[in-house]
Amino acid sequence: MTAALPAPGAELPPLRHAATRLQLFRYSAVTWNPHRIHFEEEYARSEGHAGTLVHSHLRAALALRCVAEGLPGWTIAEVKYRVRRPVVPGTELVYGARVREAAGDAAVLELTETHPGGEVGLAGTVTVRRAGREADR
Amino acid sequence: MSHPLPPAVADTPLGRYYAATKPREGERETRDLGVLDALTIRRYALTVGARDPIHHDAGAARAAGYADVVAPPNLLAAIFEWGAGTPEDELAPDGTPRAAADDPGAGLRGMGAGEEMELLAPVVAGTRVLCDEILDAVVYKDTRGGPCVFVTALHVFRTPDGTVLNRNRRTVVRRNPHEEP
Repeated sequence: MTAALPAPGAELPPLRHAATRLQLFRYSAVTWNPHRIHFEEEYARSEGHAGTLVHSHLRAALALRCVAEGLPGWTIAEVKYRVRRPVVPGTELVYGARVREAAGDAAVLELTETHPGGEVGLAGTVTVRRAGREADR
Repeated sequence: MSHPLPPAVADTPLGRYYAATKPREGERETRDLGVLDALTIRRYALTVGARDPIHHDAGAARAAGYADVVAPPNLLAAIFEWGAGTPEDELAPDGTPRAAADDPGAGLRGMGAGEEMELLAPVVAGTRVLCDEILDAVVYKDTRGGPCVFVTALHVFRTPDGTVLNRNRRTVVRRNPHEEP
C-alpha cells in the first residue's frame, strides 16, 4: 500500500535508536570495514574521540529507515547529508524527516539526527518518488 | 608545486598527503566489484534494522515487482571493501587500506563528512556491479578542529550493460595524527 503524501511541514514518525557496540561490530563486518575507530575503544580514544564511533553510513541508513518506514510505497531517489558531529554507541538518537515540499509524485524532506542535548549530528535532504515496479522501469 | 597550505602545515603528513593527492584530481578508475549476493543484502538489512520483507524474502520481493531481494538504499555506498579485502600487513595504522607502501597518507586520520546519492535503479541480488571512481576534489581547509583536507570522490555504480544504479559523491575529511577531531 502506498502512503498518502503528507503536506509540507508535516513530520514523519521519528525513529529512535541507540546503536550498540554489537551493532557497530556487525556493521563493520557486513561492510568489510577494518577502520579501527569503529570497533577498538582504546584506538578510537587515541585519536581523540570519546570512544568508538558509529559509522556515518550506519547513521545515514537509520535516517533513511525513518523515511522508508514513514512513507511505505515511496522510493528514495536522492539523498544529501552532512555529518556535523561524531556519535558514540549508546547515545539516544532521534531521526526525523519533515516534508519541505511536495508535488505530484515527488516530495523533498529534511532529514535530521538529533542528539540528547538537542544538537543536530547529521542533517540533509531526501527526495522520494511514488514507487514503480521494477518491471515498469 | 604551489598550493595554499601554510608553511607550518606543508611539512606535516597532512601537507604531504595534500601535495601528493591534489594533482590526482580528475583521475578515474573502474573496478569490477563482482556479484552482489542475497546474503549480503539480508545481513546489511538485518544490521541496520530494515525489516521490510523486500530486503529478506525473495518471494516478497518478487511480489513487489523485483527480481530478487532488494538492497537498502545506501548498501552499495556503505560497503568498504569488496572481494577478499586487504591483507592486514598492508593496512595503515588506523586499519584502513594503504594505497601503497609509501602512501604519504599513512598515519592520517579519516572520517566520513557527508554524501550525495542518486538512487537511479533498484539494486537486487544477483546484480554484477562495476564502479567508476573519479577523484572529484581535494580541498584544504583550516577548521576549528585544525587543518583538514576534504577529499571528495564520485562513485558511479553500474551494471556491465551500462545501467547506472547509484551515483554517489562522498567526502572524507583527513587530519594529521596529532589533531583532535
